[in-house]
Amino acid sequence: MDIRWVWESQNLAQRTLEHLRMFGIALALSVVIGVLLGLYLYRRPKLAPIAFNVLNILETVPTLALLVLLLPLLGLGEKPTIAASVIYSILPIARNTYTGLTSVERSYIEVAKAIGLSEREVLLKVRFPLALPLIAAGVRIAVVFTMGVVTLGGLIAAGGLGAPIQTGIHLYDRDIIIVTGLWVGALALILDGVAALIERYLRDRYGRR
Amino acid sequence: MVGVERVLGAFGEHLVLTYASLFLSIAVGIPLAILSLKSKRLASFIMGFANLVQAIPSFAVVAIVVPLLGIGFTPAVFAIFLRALLPIVKNTYVGLSEVDEAMIDAARGIGLTEWEIIRYVRFPHAYPAMFAGIKFAAVLANSIAILTAIIGSGGLGSLVFEGLASFNTDKILAGSIPAILMAVFIDISFSYLEKRVTPEGIGGG
Repeated sequence: MDIRWVWESQNLAQRTLEHLRMFGIALALSVVIGVLLGLYLYRRPKLAPIAFNVLNILETVPTLALLVLLLPLLGLGEKPTIAASVIYSILPIARNTYTGLTSVERSYIEVAKAIGLSEREVLLKVRFPLALPLIAAGVRIAVVFTMGVVTLGGLIAAGGLGAPIQTGIHLYDRDIIIVTGLWVGALALILDGVAALIERYLRDRYGRR
Repeated sequence: MVGVERVLGAFGEHLVLTYASLFLSIAVGIPLAILSLKSKRLASFIMGFANLVQAIPSFAVVAIVVPLLGIGFTPAVFAIFLRALLPIVKNTYVGLSEVDEAMIDAARGIGLTEWEIIRYVRFPHAYPAMFAGIKFAAVLANSIAILTAIIGSGGLGSLVFEGLASFNTDKILAGSIPAILMAVFIDISFSYLEKRVTPEGIGGG
């Protein structure tokens, strides 16, 4: 097997950059939207069951079906790929943010109130830090989802590492398939590992128990 | 327009593909979870492996199967099986192993054998977690079964890919809408099944 040939002929260095760029944009958007939605639902808990039910249904939609359904709206390429990644990733982040904010132990809140913190300060200085480990766990799930969707983006001309995988399958070229497939897999494991480390750090720093 | 027969045929293939892989994963996953109860080492190996493989994009798994098994229906079933197996093993094992020790002791006290304890004590308690895993696996299988059309599995995915190649929106819709309805159906039916099977007083709330 000629790894170098595959790497150069398929432009894997550039494909990897494209892949990580889409991944980065999608994940950043998901974190911002997810955390904000979680905060919003914390303020309006009555809406929470409806919002989570809708997101749960979206979550079951087959990835490729969602991608192709976004085509008429957003065209081919990066945009629908990023949009689909965000749609799948909002749920774990928003749900964990919401759960994290609402499940803070009463005694902490009471102490915070007793020393004279306002509602807003309780939220930002007590609830939010204590929710961080759970939020990070949600982000870690989103990392895995986003990696999967971005890889599929190759099928709708978004570039990234899905593109050479598609080429490999169409040419029935085992070298391209194995090298690119294993490389995407390794990349996914590395990113998941990094997310796990961050989650563990936050759990040690702010964890309960 | 896409002919109704074509869509129904593709839907049929999709169902066979999804459920064949799902049943295979259940048939392998549950015994594997029971085996993991017997050995701590096997359990930590399987759980570690499951967590690892779950992070790998489905498209990569589907692609890697091609050099190993070629293209067509069987390799597609194998790829879906690989992805669907993990949530089933993981959730079943967690459900089975998190039963209150006192309850196991009580069961032993009234003379149940190891197997009877698994069958009558551990399993009913594991149902909620197990069904959550199976539901997740079914949704996953339904999703990947579209994707495997790229390695020649047939089914609704082939309509999607044909539509994609020729920019034919009708074909894209004819392939993706039934798959989405299927996903919603799976979600509802498995939730219902879980409620029916779980004995009163266990899990759920």
